[in-house]
Amino acid sequence: MRRQRSDSRSAYVFILPWLIGFLCFTLFPIVFMVQQSLTNRKLNGVSKFIGLANYKNMFKSAVFWNSFRVTILFTVVMVVVTTVWAVILALLLNRKQKFNSIFQFCYFLPSVVPTVALAYAFRTIFGKNAGLFNNILSTFMGHTVEINWLYQKNTVYFVVFFITLFTYGTGQMMLIFRSGLADVPQELYEASSLDGATFLQKFFHITLPMISPLILFNAVSGCVSALNGSFALLYPLTSENGDPNGMTQVLSLLIYKEAFSNMKVGYACALSVVLFLVAAAFGGLIFGISKKTVYYED
Amino acid sequence: MKSTRTKARLCSFGLYLLKILVALIMFTPIIWILTGGFKTLTEFTTTANLFPAQPTLENYQYIFQHSHIWRYMGNTFLLMFGATIGTLLSSALVAYPLARMDFKGKKLIFSIIIATMLIPNIALIIPQYIMFGKIGWLDSLLPMIIPAWFAYPYNVFLFRQFFRSIPKELDEAAIIDGCTRPQVFFKVILPISKPTTVTIGILSCVFWWNELTQPVFYINSDQWRTMTIALMTSFMYTSGNAFVINWASIMAASTFMLIPPMLLYAFGSKYLVGGIKTSGLK
Repeated sequence: MRRQRSDSRSAYVFILPWLIGFLCFTLFPIVFMVQQSLTNRKLNGVSKFIGLANYKNMFKSAVFWNSFRVTILFTVVMVVVTTVWAVILALLLNRKQKFNSIFQFCYFLPSVVPTVALAYAFRTIFGKNAGLFNNILSTFMGHTVEINWLYQKNTVYFVVFFITLFTYGTGQMMLIFRSGLADVPQELYEASSLDGATFLQKFFHITLPMISPLILFNAVSGCVSALNGSFALLYPLTSENGDPNGMTQVLSLLIYKEAFSNMKVGYACALSVVLFLVAAAFGGLIFGISKKTVYYED
Repeated sequence: MKSTRTKARLCSFGLYLLKILVALIMFTPIIWILTGGFKTLTEFTTTANLFPAQPTLENYQYIFQHSHIWRYMGNTFLLMFGATIGTLLSSALVAYPLARMDFKGKKLIFSIIIATMLIPNIALIIPQYIMFGKIGWLDSLLPMIIPAWFAYPYNVFLFRQFFRSIPKELDEAAIIDGCTRPQVFFKVILPISKPTTVTIGILSCVFWWNELTQPVFYINSDQWRTMTIALMTSFMYTSGNAFVINWASIMAASTFMLIPPMLLYAFGSKYLVGGIKTSGLK
């Protein structure tokens, strides 16, 4: 009994770094953020209590609602795209063939390249003049293509969608799926082969349920990295204004703009509260879905 | 019999073709960066060829002469090692009792850790900015390095998953032999956790090497600029012609940024697949 008590005391000592960090760098900022969102704090520190005025202004602002929509859209698309793409890449590498390590290197590397470097590379690849993408299209189409990919309404979404395949930890997710695929018992495949199952049947009835816990894990971390990483991608790609015309201005860009260009830190705090709630809602949603769909072996 | 063999061969040939196609798509931007640094600015902005017609080193000369690239590199390495060592030590420490000891409040603490995993950093960055401003940490690497020493939830989770897979008898035997819990942790558990430690270390290094968001918010002056910030500000414009973006130099600077992640991958690829144990969020 005594040993157990001392055991539990040493457990708390082990936990201590997290507890201090949680109180100082998570819980306190949350409380502080809510409190500051009720002020008209400026970047130079001057602030006055103004009640819910920030929220009232926010809900009346078309810029905010646009940003809110774009954030939801981007997060959903990015999570789905990266997860599906990572599964496909892992499946491609799952079949034992020569040169797999080279292929893995090629698929993995883009996800460890700094997002800002990729963003700049793609800004020039999708550039109107001397852009690689237009050049490739011109070759295939037989005539000169001059599309300004990043500054047109629909094409900018295509560019972001395309870059998403390379970023947001796709490579990292692929490695996680690879380790999951390696753990699927081969007998299941052999048994189903004898029953005459097709590739797709095997995938949906064996592979997918077996890796579903990993899909959950990746969806959770993908969601966070999409909400977080969209800043690192879109700020160098389309600036804090989310060109063209705010179409790519996710909440994080708007927060940055309001705080540092318009110096309205109090308002930025109100926006941060919304972003925090969006993240919480996504988290709740993913866990809600997973309770019904994720299959655990034991 | 023969037809099934040809079918299998065709299938594997098709798979190769697919793999090569995907590799081409995935690797093209990296080749674009690598070769772009060796093009002249004129060539970069007028043609879209993947390989330079007349390779030149002028972009590399430019970034070495017109920016403090060594300082930016130094800052980035300082941030990377400072944060990674901190998160490895503290996260492993916190994960140990969560995986292998029984104590009151364990479930609650673990749920809070999982919940905080879901908070994107960017949602709390403004209050943190004000906070760090008050204690005078702005325009330094401290707002990023110090929090890393207080355990990062995602890493705690990964460490916990691995620690759970180690047989419990190992701890018990060590305790019967007279080891205290800290001794068990440092002398028994940590040494056999090398694959996970290396994996998390690599992921953390890559994360901090690539991190743009927090430096954008916290760092103003040239003194503490990291490579990512420098890429956005310091290699941008050609001297004399203020508004022409010097893309070729940016590609040259990006090439430098590719090297550490590539080295880390080469060093750690054998750990990476096996090192991440994530049997779901159980």
